[in-house]
Amino acid sequence: MRALVVEDDPDVGNDIVRGLESAGYISDLVRNGEDAWFKGDVEDYDIAVVDLGLPRLDGLSVIKKWRANERNFPILILSARGDWSEKVEGIESGADDYLAKPFQMAELITRVKALVRRYSGHAAPTLDIGPLRIDTRRMAASLEGTPVPLSQLEFRLLNYLAHQRGRAVPAGELAEHLYGTSDADDSNAVEQLVVRLRRKIGPERIETRRGFGYLLADADS
Amino acid sequence: MKAYSLRWRLLLGAAIAIFATLAVAWLVMTWLFDRQLERQAEQELRRDALELVGGLKADANGAIPMLDGPGDARFDTPASGLYWQVSGLSGTQRSRSLWDQVLPPTPADALDWHTRFVDGPFGHELYLLDRIVQPEGINDKVLVQLALDEEQLDAAGAEFGQTLALFLMLIWVALSCAAWLQVELGLRPLAHLRTEIAALRLNPAERLSASYPSEVEPLTRAINELASAREADVKRARQRAADLAHGMKTPLAALTAQSRRIREGRTENSETASDGLDRAIAAAAAAVEGELARARAAASRLSYQDAKAAPLRMSRRLISVLERTEKGMRVDYQLDVPEGLRIAISEEDLTEILGPLLENAVKFARREVRVGSQVKDGKTFLWVEDDGPGIKMSEMADLMVRGGRLDQAGGGHGLGLAIARELVEATGGTITLGASSLGGLRVEVSWYDAVRSIGGTA
Repeated sequence: MRALVVEDDPDVGNDIVRGLESAGYISDLVRNGEDAWFKGDVEDYDIAVVDLGLPRLDGLSVIKKWRANERNFPILILSARGDWSEKVEGIESGADDYLAKPFQMAELITRVKALVRRYSGHAAPTLDIGPLRIDTRRMAASLEGTPVPLSQLEFRLLNYLAHQRGRAVPAGELAEHLYGTSDADDSNAVEQLVVRLRRKIGPERIETRRGFGYLLADADS
Repeated sequence: MKAYSLRWRLLLGAAIAIFATLAVAWLVMTWLFDRQLERQAEQELRRDALELVGGLKADANGAIPMLDGPGDARFDTPASGLYWQVSGLSGTQRSRSLWDQVLPPTPADALDWHTRFVDGPFGHELYLLDRIVQPEGINDKVLVQLALDEEQLDAAGAEFGQTLALFLMLIWVALSCAAWLQVELGLRPLAHLRTEIAALRLNPAERLSASYPSEVEPLTRAINELASAREADVKRARQRAADLAHGMKTPLAALTAQSRRIREGRTENSETASDGLDRAIAAAAAAVEGELARARAAASRLSYQDAKAAPLRMSRRLISVLERTEKGMRVDYQLDVPEGLRIAISEEDLTEILGPLLENAVKFARREVRVGSQVKDGKTFLWVEDDGPGIKMSEMADLMVRGGRLDQAGGGHGLGLAIARELVEATGGTITLGASSLGGLRVEVSWYDAVRSIGGTA
């Protein structure tokens, strides 16, 4: 696993590199935006940790340039300002997660691992089920080429069903996947979620198998 | 003298305007005077002409006898400037004043006397009166001409012009002085204002007096409001500096204690020492975070007043950020806000208010976070609620104590809410906590739709 660390402060930068190395990542440290952009553009990384306040080229611009060149590795933003406008801007530029300074190294490692897991978990970045296309990296879906606006929870439900193609998934299993726990009233929450998802992608695409669970219809229709 | 002096600009304008008016008056009056001189000269010439024509009678031979001419002595003085001449077929008679010169023939009329300007003898221009006359007993028609040297008219006109110019100059000076006096009187309140503002600069508690003309009063009122806002700012800044210092001192003291314990080798183990250090660092970070939030709140008061923030769009953007977090991706977001709803604050402020509210809701939510809105009685309400455990009424009161310190609010619901509260109040809104029908906490913020005034939150 290779990580790119972009941080202008040498103490913080080296600390992150040490932390990532102890977690098993081989890390490159760059200290300014221009070098960061160049490295990320020509070399393959599994994750980038980018500080926003950088000399020469700011972090947001670096991320925008990478994404414009279809560099799709996950990006974790480090922000000193920590205000919401900056977080929103960061995510909208193409970053995947943010962490406000000062942070605990353990927290950073957890976030990095979660991002890497999310990105490497899928063999194929896109799944096609009939007219439905699921982009697992961008966490977006489209129906006959038109993007369908899905919430994170709706996407995760759709994605899970897509990966269990042909199998009816019980509500309890879905709840456990979606919420991490399974209570008695979670089946209700899942049902409501399924109703909303059906409204967005068409009611016939998710079938209810009484006694078994929910099934994503495979047939072209 | 400064290029942009109001006094000099007004004075210069007045002087130029008065000068131009007086110059036009001079031109018109001298022209009128010249016409008057000509009319007078014509009347004199006519009187002399009638005297001359009265003597035009045929003698026994039917010819014109030698004429005496009018009585004016100037007709007998050579080149005196006053001339007559009678010319017919049988010859020409003329005044002695013409000496060896003659008046040029003119296209006279038989019916009435006419005046004209012609080039005459001695190289002078003449003001000439002429007529064709047929005297009694003579078949011949004769041309009667009387002339006055124009130089004499000009001399009188020029003298009048000079006298008038001198007089008008005096009037110009007098009127300019009056204009200066007017400007001085008009600008006096500004000079007064300057001294009062100087006093205001030295003492922030000072205010401008109310005794200003109605034209200047809006300005002084605005300055007074500005001064009040500034005084409040200074007070708030002092309070904030004190709060921050206080907020930082506690963790610093903890760090000092920790350092001493390590030095003395009294620390239990490195784990507990690190935990102590982390706690102190977290407290310091919270103090700084709170201070940053307050700085933003102070800046928001200066932001654009007509700003219209779209809560639905802002909520969606914030949720797309929260969905990236481990907890946020497990929560269901319900947005019950109309697309067209707008709030009269800046988008950035709304982001910084909704951000902590949503983050807080996500932190405590079990499954669901809801954002709702309502417009009622000229107010726009916006609320964020969750289905988490909620908080007790007594805790709510603690959180909402006005002036409660951000750094003391600690973790849990506190810091995010305190930051949001600071900003809501800075933007002229109100924030209330309550119980949600979902079971958790419901935080409601509201703003009046009308534009808030400067310094309204001081």
